[in-house]
Amino acid sequence: MRILTGASRRGLDIPSVHAEATEDGHHQATLLLEVTPKQVGQLYREWYAIADVTHVGSGAAHAEPWAAAHPPTPVSLESRTAARA
Amino acid sequence: MLKGSEIVLQCLRAEGVELMFGYPGGAIMPLYDALEGSGIRHVLTRHEQGAVFAAEGYARVTGDVGVALATSGPGATNLVTGIADAKMDSVPLVCITGQVRSALIGSDAFQETDVFGVTLSLTKWSRLVRTLDEVPEVIAEGFHWARSGRPGPVVIDIPTDILKAKKEFSGPVKFKPHSRPADAVADGGFTDTIVAMLQRAAKPVALVGAGAKLSGATSELRRLLDDLNIPAFATVHGLGAVPPEAPYYLGMVGMHGTRAANMALHETDLLLVFGARLDDRVTGDPSRFAPHAKIVHFEIDPAQLDRVRSCEMPVIGNLADTIPAFHAELRRHKLPDFSGWRAVACGTERAELDPRGLAQPTIRFLDELFSRLPKNNVVLADVGQHQMWAAQRYRSSTPRGFITSGGLGAMGFALPAAVGVQLARPDACVLCVSGDGGFQMNIQELATVHRLGLPIKMVIVDNKYLGMVRQWQQLFYQRNYAETDLSDNPDFVDIAKAYKIHSFRMNEDAMREFPVSNETGDQMDRFLASPEPELLVFDCAPEANVFPMVPAGAALSEMLLEEEPTQ
Repeated sequence: MRILTGASRRGLDIPSVHAEATEDGHHQATLLLEVTPKQVGQLYREWYAIADVTHVGSGAAHAEPWAAAHPPTPVSLESRTAARA
Repeated sequence: MLKGSEIVLQCLRAEGVELMFGYPGGAIMPLYDALEGSGIRHVLTRHEQGAVFAAEGYARVTGDVGVALATSGPGATNLVTGIADAKMDSVPLVCITGQVRSALIGSDAFQETDVFGVTLSLTKWSRLVRTLDEVPEVIAEGFHWARSGRPGPVVIDIPTDILKAKKEFSGPVKFKPHSRPADAVADGGFTDTIVAMLQRAAKPVALVGAGAKLSGATSELRRLLDDLNIPAFATVHGLGAVPPEAPYYLGMVGMHGTRAANMALHETDLLLVFGARLDDRVTGDPSRFAPHAKIVHFEIDPAQLDRVRSCEMPVIGNLADTIPAFHAELRRHKLPDFSGWRAVACGTERAELDPRGLAQPTIRFLDELFSRLPKNNVVLADVGQHQMWAAQRYRSSTPRGFITSGGLGAMGFALPAAVGVQLARPDACVLCVSGDGGFQMNIQELATVHRLGLPIKMVIVDNKYLGMVRQWQQLFYQRNYAETDLSDNPDFVDIAKAYKIHSFRMNEDAMREFPVSNETGDQMDRFLASPEPELLVFDCAPEANVFPMVPAGAALSEMLLEEEPTQ
C-alpha cells in the first residue's frame, strides 16, 4: 500500500495495478503510470525507501538513468560529469 | 500463560523501554491493566498529542526510541501530528494504539479508525496485529525500523481482543532484517575524489544538519571541520553540532539564517553537506541554490539525494563511518590556502552574531536568557518567530541541546516535548520557549508538569499575535492581518496559578539597557535556578519581525535584512 501511496501523493492516476506472490516468497507489484522523467526519479527514491522494497525496475524508456545500482555509489568526478554532459 | 498485554509489555522491556507516554481508553485498557509490575513507567499526559510530543522529546534528546500509547479511534488520530513530526525530523518513535476487537474491524464500530491507513504515508513502518502469535515479531521489527538507518515513526495497532487473549510465551525475539539496497555503504573510493574536489576549489563551505547529531559523530565532525578550516554553518537541526565559538562558524543558514551564512552558501564553489536533507527552508529557490557549487552529499538516506538539487558526489552511509574515512584520507594531503576566502566569509560579517549589536528587545531577552543557562541545559522552541529568534541566538555546543519541530513546524510541540526531555535529563535545566499561540495548543500539559513536579522553565514570548503569520501578512499581504489577532489572550500568569505553577511577567523595558540591570539579571537567574516548574511571560512588541528573511521562492542571496517596503 505504501507503493501505491508513493504514486497517489503525487496526483498520479494509476490505471492499472497488478500484484502477485513470487516464487521466492516475496511479492511483485506492477503499476502502469504516466510520469515525467523527474517523477521517475522521485518514485524510485521513494519506493526504495520503503522498508520491504528490495528492487525497483521500469520498462519506460526514460528510466534508463535509474537502471543503475541503488543507492547511487560515489564515482569519480570525471565520469559523473561526463554522464551529465 | 500470559495475556497479550503482558506479552506486549515484556517485549517492550526487551527493547529497552523504561518510559512511555500515553492516555488510556477503551480499546487499550487491557494494556493499562497490565502496567503495574511491568517495569515500565507510564506518564499520563492530558492529550494524546501531548503524549506523542513527549515521546518525541524523550527520543530527540536521548536518541532512544520514544514510545506513545493511545486508544483506538480519536486516541489514535490524535497521535497523527506527532507521527508526521517524527517522520519529517527523523525521530525514532513507536506508537502503540489499541484497536476495536478483531471481529468488528471494518464495521465502523465505536471508536474505530483505520489508523494503519491514516498513517500509511507518515510512518516508516506499521502493522495491524492480527494474531497474538505475531506480537513478539511485530514489536521487534517495529523497533528495528524505528531506530535503524534514518530513524522514523512506527505504528503498531493491536486489537483489544488480542491484548486480552492468552498464550504460552517463550520470550521476546530478535528481528533479523533482510538486506536492502539502501543499507549499502559507500566504499572507500569516495575519499580520493572529495580530496581532489577540495584541491580544485576556491570557496568551499560545509553545511551541517541533523544527521551529525543523529549519527553520534559530532566529535569526529568537529575534528574534521577544524582541519578543513572552511566556513561552516548549520541547519536548525544542526545547531549545537558545531561549537559556536569556532572561528569558521557562521551560524544558522536558510530562510532566517545569518547573512554571512547565506551569502557564503550562495557564493561557494564546493558545498560539503553533512547529514542535511537540503529542504526548502535551507535552499530557498532550489533552481538558484548554490548556483556555482559542486555538491558532496554525506547522507544515510538515499531518498534524500538529488531530491532538490543534483549532487556531484553522493556518499551514502552513517556519518560515524564516512567522516572518519574521509578525514583519514584528508590528513594525507595538503589543501590549498583558503584563508582569503575565509576572511571574506567569516570576517566582519560575524559581527551579526555579537549580542552587543542586537537592538530588538525580544532577541536581547532570549540572548540574555541563553547566556545565563547553566552548562547542562536543553533548549526547546515551539514554532514561530520566537523559534527563529531562539535558533539565531542559540549558543550551546551540545549536540542534542536545541529541540524544535523543524520539518513539520508543529505548533504546540514544545511544552509536551519538554516533559519528555526533562524526564530523560532530570539534572538538566530545560528551557521551553513558546509563543502565545503555540503555548495554548497544548496548554493542558501544565497539569502533567505540575503532577510530576518537573522543573521546566517555560517562557511565553507574548506578542498577542500569531506572529510569524502576521509577519508574512505584513510583508507580502499588505498588512491584511486576517485571523492572526490574539489580543484577547487569557492571562497566562493566572492560568499558571490555576495549575499551581509559579509565574511572573517581564516586558521589553527590562531589555532597554545593555547589560541588563542587576534586578532583571537576578530575576532571570532565580527563574533558571528554581527547583520548581516556572513560567515567565515576556510581553513584547506586537509587530517585531524576524530578519534576515529569505522570501518564499527567492534565492538565499535575496534575503530581506530589515524592514523594507512591502510588495
